[in-house]
Amino acid sequence: MAVSGTSRQKQTDEVMELTLVNTVFQIFSSNMMDIPVIKPLVDVLMTVPIVKYLVALILWKPFFAVILVPGLTGLMLSLLFIIWFERKLTARIQWRMGPLEISRSIGGILQPLADGMRYFFQEIIIHKEAHRPYFVQFPILAFIPVLLPVLFIPAGTVYAIRTPYALPVIVSLISMIPVVIMAIGWASNSRLAFIGTVREAFMYFGYEIPFIIAVLAMAVLYGTSDLYLIVEKQRVWGIALNPISALVFLITMAMATSRLPFEIAEADQEIAFGPFVEYSGILFGLTMTLAYEKMYILGLLFSVLFLGGGSGPPLPFLGDLTPVIWLYIKAVIIMCIMAFLRAVYPRYRIDQALRLGWTYLAGLAVVSVVIAGLISAGGLLP
Amino acid sequence: MREEYLDIPVEPPAEFQPLFVPIPREYVENAFRSDEFIVLVGPQHPGSGHMRIVVRIKGDIIVDALPEPGYVHRSMEKLAENRLYIQNIPLFERPSIMDSSNYNVGYVRAIEDALDIEVPERARYIRTIFCELSRIGTHLYDAGIFSVFLGHTTGFMWPFGLRELICEANLRATGTRVTTSFIVPGGVRADVDDSVLKFIYDSMGVIEKRMKGFEKIFIKNPAVIARLKDVGVLTKEEAIRYGVVGPFLRASGVAYDVRKVEGYDAYDELEWEVPVGDDGDAYTRFLVRVEEISQSIKIIRQAIKNIPRGPILSDDLIGKLKEKDQVRKNIKGYFYRIFSRIRLPQGEFTSQTEAGRGLLLYSIVSDGESNVPYRVRMVTPGWLYLKGFMESLKGSRLADLQAIYGSFGYFPPEADR
Amino acid sequence: MRSRITRRVRIKTPDLNLVDRVKGHIDAIVTAAFQAIFPDRITIQYPRERRDVPDNFRGMIQFDINKCISCFQCSFVCPANAIMMRGAPDGRYYPCIDYTRCIFCHFCVDTCPRGALLRTKIHDVAFSSMEEMFATTEELIEPPEMLREDDTVIRYRIENGDLVLEKIEEIAELSTRPEIQVSPAKLSACAHPENCIACTLCYLTCPSNAISVKVVEGKRTFEIDPKLCTGCGLCVKECPTCTLTLIER
Repeated sequence: MAVSGTSRQKQTDEVMELTLVNTVFQIFSSNMMDIPVIKPLVDVLMTVPIVKYLVALILWKPFFAVILVPGLTGLMLSLLFIIWFERKLTARIQWRMGPLEISRSIGGILQPLADGMRYFFQEIIIHKEAHRPYFVQFPILAFIPVLLPVLFIPAGTVYAIRTPYALPVIVSLISMIPVVIMAIGWASNSRLAFIGTVREAFMYFGYEIPFIIAVLAMAVLYGTSDLYLIVEKQRVWGIALNPISALVFLITMAMATSRLPFEIAEADQEIAFGPFVEYSGILFGLTMTLAYEKMYILGLLFSVLFLGGGSGPPLPFLGDLTPVIWLYIKAVIIMCIMAFLRAVYPRYRIDQALRLGWTYLAGLAVVSVVIAGLISAGGLLP
Repeated sequence: MREEYLDIPVEPPAEFQPLFVPIPREYVENAFRSDEFIVLVGPQHPGSGHMRIVVRIKGDIIVDALPEPGYVHRSMEKLAENRLYIQNIPLFERPSIMDSSNYNVGYVRAIEDALDIEVPERARYIRTIFCELSRIGTHLYDAGIFSVFLGHTTGFMWPFGLRELICEANLRATGTRVTTSFIVPGGVRADVDDSVLKFIYDSMGVIEKRMKGFEKIFIKNPAVIARLKDVGVLTKEEAIRYGVVGPFLRASGVAYDVRKVEGYDAYDELEWEVPVGDDGDAYTRFLVRVEEISQSIKIIRQAIKNIPRGPILSDDLIGKLKEKDQVRKNIKGYFYRIFSRIRLPQGEFTSQTEAGRGLLLYSIVSDGESNVPYRVRMVTPGWLYLKGFMESLKGSRLADLQAIYGSFGYFPPEADR
Repeated sequence: MRSRITRRVRIKTPDLNLVDRVKGHIDAIVTAAFQAIFPDRITIQYPRERRDVPDNFRGMIQFDINKCISCFQCSFVCPANAIMMRGAPDGRYYPCIDYTRCIFCHFCVDTCPRGALLRTKIHDVAFSSMEEMFATTEELIEPPEMLREDDTVIRYRIENGDLVLEKIEEIAELSTRPEIQVSPAKLSACAHPENCIACTLCYLTCPSNAISVKVVEGKRTFEIDPKLCTGCGLCVKECPTCTLTLIER
């Protein structure tokens, strides 16, 4: 009896394990990406015992949104693309060729990858006066506020978390990035880093308020801050409904990502990359890409708020992937526009940028709220 | 306002002790007590050039700026003392990259003055053309550096691209792009072909055309104007008191140009105007130089149109050489025989030249016996306006340091010699 | 002061109102966007393409030993002391060039009375050590060795008032033809016979046996055969009493 008892016990364990796995599998497979092109392949794979769990996980919508597109992988791809594109476009405007020697046949697009690998194998110098633990930690910690907003951004039905508070959560997470940069500058403990940190702090207050008001205007206009609903309500794109809010968003985005007219905190020629002056190797690579990552998140947010998110002409046989691709393309286009600015403008002085932020932009942001209020109160939203 | 002092023992940072910073300990302590901050800009700094500026700031405002030049000192004057007069030509064109012709003309004119050499007319015109090419090149170079100091990379690349035309003109005429060593006592080294003159004439049109694009993207760009207007102002009185020279003096409202005053080379025979500004701020200093580019283009066009035919080397130097006719066209084969004999009479001979960045002074002292100069004094424009540059920094913001630096086109190798 | 400066252009700095500013921003963006679509590129992709340089280009120097008369003028005129005269087995002295010092002013090329120093269009030779940069006479005879990848020559041309980069599919010729020279004929002659101390140094030096010694009345006298004399000036250099000088034929 005892023997059979243990075996029964074993059997129940196995059954329970199987039910647990099956429940998880049920959760995954009930909410899977439906992509007609690869459907036959998926169907075949789903019959293979172990592989099916993996396939289910990858195609599980929240996982897909966070780890693939528009999440981590999309972020990395867009980084590689935008750094290359920025250099190439600037070079074209400046009568040059841009990066070309690495992978010459495809226009040197592998150059950022090569640079990244060089960063990886470069020595990381930590100077004597630096606060060592913080100095090393902060560039890595900076990824948390950069990556978390992706959880809340919907690409059609592909999203990780849907909540009516998505917009405030994203804005507050994005606002955390400058805090990390200031911490980086403080840990560097150098004169130029100190000046850069102070500049970053000033800029932070300069752009954050108009930015939040401009986003608020859109929440007022749509009457919700659930991004999924906002996308659904946009039969006409938000940029047409409230162009002033879009303008304020774009300019504050340039300020927030320290693009060129407002590249004040980093100011290469003045304070030698400001807060990041002491970094080298992969840590410098991380800090350098921080602004681009922020730009990607803000580009996604801009697409969702003003460009109809994942909406667009349906692509045949892509099913659930269609809105993902449209959202991604829109975000990358916004990044390209930001990259273009670099070839056009010099850098403003800190007082001029602050004046712009506190007067013109804040004023315009308030106007955009009024417009949004009128539109939503008048029931003009189609 | 009452000055507040914190009476606590101050320990200046360690970096002020071992780095041979030429500021006294008291200065650092004083700055720390009065809640000011000392920033060392340079020599390893993207916006300092080959020099260090010790900037004392209060908040964001520059209270005091101490220059520390000399990082690229090459002791040109001493080197010149054991070289033949002719061997100094490649030496003296090296302080300033693009300005080689102007630097040669100054030195050569002092020698010609001493030996009473009459320069043939064609040589004078060729010299004028090359001096003005140098001037355009220098101004374009400075505009490029200026732009990149403001963070405007397109404004950096375009003038440098245009400068390539100047280099190409130099290349076709003299065989080298920058350090031409083309102007020698008594004339120039070789005649310039008509096709090369045509190329120079045409390239002036290209520069004029492409400068329009540069004007739109940089000169008239509202962001640039915002950065430069009313920044680093030097009034007329200050500019005179601090001994500022060249376009920067003219930007403060003083109409003084050595080319007009001395009328050397062919400048007296050509029609051109002196750009003079009123405000004396960074933007005016830049605009004056932009206007000088168009005036130089005007000079070059006239000079090419009116250039006479004739020899390019003075008969005073050729002497009784048998192959006179050949040497008058091209000095090849006779260089050493003609120029090694140059020996200046006893005395001191001075020449003033308007180089790209302002007044350039050469003073040669000769003992009358040796074939090398006893002493050569060379005062470059950069050295002359360094004081004005430092004074105009005071009261502006730290971010304006680079804007003012670029607006003066300060070039440490030129100032340090 | 010779003339007062009467002709002058007044430079005014603009005061921008909002309209000007917006116009300025638009102008700048449109200019950049136009370039992004139709770029005025001027890049020359150097190892693959080579820029066209004229024949008078001041590049590295080639040496024609047959024309050299060992007059030392090139080493005398060199402002950077880059040229060293080295004794050869034939008793004459030929130049070596130290490229660590050479500043490419081509004073030497302009000096050489026989055109023995030639210009080349080569300016881009990589050396693996500092010692290698010292080019001996033998190395100067041939143009310097270099690896070449170029198959196109780029020439600047101005067309319709704008710069055009003309691409010519050819491998650039980097050596130049010797410029035609009337080489001045020289002859060694005794300018001050009264100074001669009869040391026979000139007789011993002469590489072409143009100087002969005769003993007349117990005194050595020298004779220079104008047919044999090449005008190299070696005897002039050796003569301790400055008796000899070079004259034109």
